[in-house]
Amino acid sequence: MRKKELKLVVTFHTTADAMAMEKACKEYQVPGRIIPVPRAISAGCGLSWCADLGDREQIVDMMRKAGIEEEEMHECMV
Amino acid sequence: MNLSDSKKKLALAGVICGLVAACLAFMGNPANMAFCIACFIRDTAGALGMHQAEVVQYARPEIIGLVLGAFIISIATKEYRSTGGSSPMVRFVLGMIIVIGSLVFLGCPLRMVIRMSAGDLNAWVALIGFILGVATGVFALKKGFSLGRAHAVNKVGGTMLPVIMVGILIMAMIPSLLKASEAGPGSMHAPIIASLVGGLVFGAVAQKSRMCFAGSIRDIILMKNFDLFSVIAGLFVVMLVFNLATSRFVLGFNTPGIIAHSDHLWNILGMYTVGFAATLAGGCPLRQLILAGQGSSDSAVTVMGMFVGAALCHNLGLAASGTAMNAETQEVVAGAVPPHGKVACIICIIVCFVIAFTSKRDENKN
Repeated sequence: MRKKELKLVVTFHTTADAMAMEKACKEYQVPGRIIPVPRAISAGCGLSWCADLGDREQIVDMMRKAGIEEEEMHECMV
Repeated sequence: MNLSDSKKKLALAGVICGLVAACLAFMGNPANMAFCIACFIRDTAGALGMHQAEVVQYARPEIIGLVLGAFIISIATKEYRSTGGSSPMVRFVLGMIIVIGSLVFLGCPLRMVIRMSAGDLNAWVALIGFILGVATGVFALKKGFSLGRAHAVNKVGGTMLPVIMVGILIMAMIPSLLKASEAGPGSMHAPIIASLVGGLVFGAVAQKSRMCFAGSIRDIILMKNFDLFSVIAGLFVVMLVFNLATSRFVLGFNTPGIIAHSDHLWNILGMYTVGFAATLAGGCPLRQLILAGQGSSDSAVTVMGMFVGAALCHNLGLAASGTAMNAETQEVVAGAVPPHGKVACIICIIVCFVIAFTSKRDENKN
């Protein structure tokens, strides 16, 4: 089984925002992947963006450029 | 115990829900309907006099228990959030569509899995439609579909559906107030206390595990993630063992007495409608009840749409009939989808496409 690591998890207000995030990250070549929102941080069943903690600045910068608003940014074991 | 931090524990959550469904089936719920959200909402709508089909009227305590179980566990674990305002009328219509599709097939996705575990090949055929429906919804999501964000609302707003459910439970305790079938599926039920406790347990476990039939397929298609699927797999295995152990497993089509039909195209299209609409609404019928219990007014509106859709199905003759045995001639009478039901199903699919490709993220951004 894959060992869990501390990751940056960005949650969104809508699934569409998460899909837009995936598209924008591909376009701007920002690392990370889309995952179900970890159960530890939300009772929802939506999607979130998971990346290494070190990529936080690059992600925030890209989201500003692409006009994507996060709901919250978490650091949790994924 | 945290039921959600590994696939094994998620599968265990499915096993618990499967045991609840198996126990209720053993105690009197209709054959292989053990725990069907669409059927039970339809029965409850009938009990409230929203439709007049005498064989499907009974205030199902399972529905009440599901909402209250999710409500209580979300309060206890501080996950209750009163939210709303995400295109409520569109969600109401999607709720209607989900139930119309379900009653063309004769079951929600939960019952589809239960029917699959009982050897009903019609349900396996319908699974094709369900997967295609969810895939169409996922395609719309990738194209920017959105119903807009939900906002935090007054805490009382999120309690409305749980309060309504308590009201229905109280009314069900008053003799002769609600309608109750004397024959047919509505007359077949486990004892009230068992159904209520079963609903409470199922609701609490479904809330903690985020169980969702549409979500499980969506996550596999979008992310190759099998977390939600493991819950469904756990439930399926338990029901399969139960059906085999109690001689309820009958492999085949056209099996009389199990409330199903072998109109393959309409089994596929019925569940296609459900999969598509549920993906747009953000969850299957079960998940809508759970989300409503944990404070989502948007899901509560979807549930209300499901009640109205269920009533319409029987008032307008849209619901399919199950294959049955003619008691006098002992001949098998094939179940079928009535013409009105077929037209309604096609209209529902068209409406889903219109909603899916006209509700875009940019338009809703605020």
